[in-house]
Amino acid sequence: MKKWLSITLGIVTATGGFLDAGTIATAGESGAKFGLGLVWAVLVSTIAVVLLVEMIGRFTALSKKTYAEAIRENLGFRFYLFPLISEIIAESIMLAAELGGIAIALSLITGISWHIMFPIAAILVFVMAWRAPFDWIENAPALLGLLTLSFVVAVVALGGPSRQLLSTLWLPHVQQGDVADYLYLAAATLGATISPYLLYFYSSGAREENWSGKSLLLNIVTAVAGMGFGSLGSLALVFLGAIVLLPLHIQATTLGELGLVLAKPFGPVGALIFALTLFATCFGAALEVVLAVSYNIAQGFGWEWGENKKPVEAARFNLVIVLFLLIAVAIGLIGIDPLQLALLGSTVIALFLPISLWPFLILMNDSQYLGEKTNGRLANIAIICILVIAFVVAIVSIPLEILSGGG
Amino acid sequence: MPREKDDIFSIRDIIDSQLVTSDGRRIGRVADIEVEWRDDGSLVLTSLVIGPQALVRRTARPIAMIARFLLRNRFEHTIPISDVTQFGPTLQLRRAAADYDVGQADRWIARYILRWIPGSGY
Amino acid sequence: MMQRSRKKYAPAVLLLLLLTGCQITQSAFARTANNAGAAFAAASTTLTYAHTGKLINAYAQSSFENYQSELSGLDQQLPVQSGAPSKQSLQQLLTLSKPAMQAIQHPCLTATCDWQAQVKALNAASAAFLKAGGS
Repeated sequence: MKKWLSITLGIVTATGGFLDAGTIATAGESGAKFGLGLVWAVLVSTIAVVLLVEMIGRFTALSKKTYAEAIRENLGFRFYLFPLISEIIAESIMLAAELGGIAIALSLITGISWHIMFPIAAILVFVMAWRAPFDWIENAPALLGLLTLSFVVAVVALGGPSRQLLSTLWLPHVQQGDVADYLYLAAATLGATISPYLLYFYSSGAREENWSGKSLLLNIVTAVAGMGFGSLGSLALVFLGAIVLLPLHIQATTLGELGLVLAKPFGPVGALIFALTLFATCFGAALEVVLAVSYNIAQGFGWEWGENKKPVEAARFNLVIVLFLLIAVAIGLIGIDPLQLALLGSTVIALFLPISLWPFLILMNDSQYLGEKTNGRLANIAIICILVIAFVVAIVSIPLEILSGGG
Repeated sequence: MPREKDDIFSIRDIIDSQLVTSDGRRIGRVADIEVEWRDDGSLVLTSLVIGPQALVRRTARPIAMIARFLLRNRFEHTIPISDVTQFGPTLQLRRAAADYDVGQADRWIARYILRWIPGSGY
Repeated sequence: MMQRSRKKYAPAVLLLLLLTGCQITQSAFARTANNAGAAFAAASTTLTYAHTGKLINAYAQSSFENYQSELSGLDQQLPVQSGAPSKQSLQQLLTLSKPAMQAIQHPCLTATCDWQAQVKALNAASAAFLKAGGS
């Protein structure tokens, strides 16, 4: 009984972890601008992230080493600096975007400007990261995140996509001047979904929960069902953008506009549900991002770490949490709209994706860490395919961002 | 998989490995090693070196002088190899955390920075 | 070493040049006009929903704050961007944008003002700007 409870919690967590400011921004804009023409990008990134999450979960359960620890120990300090620095840059922007998402959600509910809500959002995230035990961090935002199912309900309530819209699934309607936009959103979707912070966090979480060889089934179920359900929410948002916003010529360039997709079928309750969902997903993501970076640094340098310890018992780890939040607040205070910041963050993640994912190829085949459970040939082919996609996305992301004016 | 005493192992089992004390505390990672040339012709590993300067010396030699100027050897420590009971990605040490100078930065930060934030548990 | 890295980037740069040559992106003016048109459309829908019981005031208020920052400086940006049309059509656009921008800055969220007129102005501006942007 307890095992099944643990599995459902894992799924709920992964569902919440899939959606964040980045995936909401890309899904909404994709639907509003190109109908169902970018659904393939969501599907491809979902498959990739399911595979990567399963692999890193398996790795950590068997070797008792987190991703960051394994990178330093196996590939040396010099190589470790590359994913470390790229993570710090990319996640600073992403954390600011998530905090912005929380702030926007709070402003949509209260009517108070999001600039004022921004520091409040940072404080809320800080309090959770500072004192809450890992269980709470895992489960609280995730339970609220179940609200994403309302997106799926909304699609049904609106009668689903028209036949004409469905045809854009395999034949996207892209005008000549919009090609850069289209490709840019595809790259940003991949970056927003296959976010390395998710892998660092998941791996550290597996250690916090003391996973072992017995947890392999739990790991597979969490990866597949969790990421699968999460992507349902993302896909639903694409559909909603296509059904509601596209005919109205609304391009979903602000997060508030996205809420209109739930206001149409459900009225004011719908908009409120959207705001709450935005709050829950961005809050969960903010926690994951700040902890992922702190885990990465503390583990890479061999310091004491852990959310189940008091802050003074893992002082340097917690100091990094504080400093990183301050950096994100500083970036947020520049005042860039959170949705635009989320797109920028996703682009930067896409740029560094090959560096962050490269270690998979080496670690997943190391029998010193995995014993007999190293990757089979299919799994290795999958990693190579993902790496090829990552390289392509990395090369085109910045040129496309410039050409398309940042979405 | 931790290695036993007489196994032959590579530098990978030592450099960058996590140091864990007998009471289960993580105190850092191995930055470098010290070896000694004995009279009988053998090269013997004598101690582990931990500290930012050692790390910089090993990985970014050109800025080693700047590191020395800024840090003034204040964070460098050595641990004799005899203190290691188990080799591998994690090095198990013989003594408790309080017996080592390494890892005291945590205590300093707790005492002078974190204590002012409510809920730190100081 | 230097030679190799230069060669590595050449194909990416070539691809970029090829793509820009094929006009895969809009002119700066078209982009601004399109974004503005979409923002006016969003504002119009938000205003309508607020008065037809689909949105609470707090939500609409926050949304408009975002539209304000999105559209700030529109009338200064438009004339100077590459790809701008004739002076006459530009003037027409700016004339239409005035009442729309007025609605954006001071949205009518109570029952006492003329919100339908604002919606009309926003719709007109939206249609014109989207057309100018080539949608």
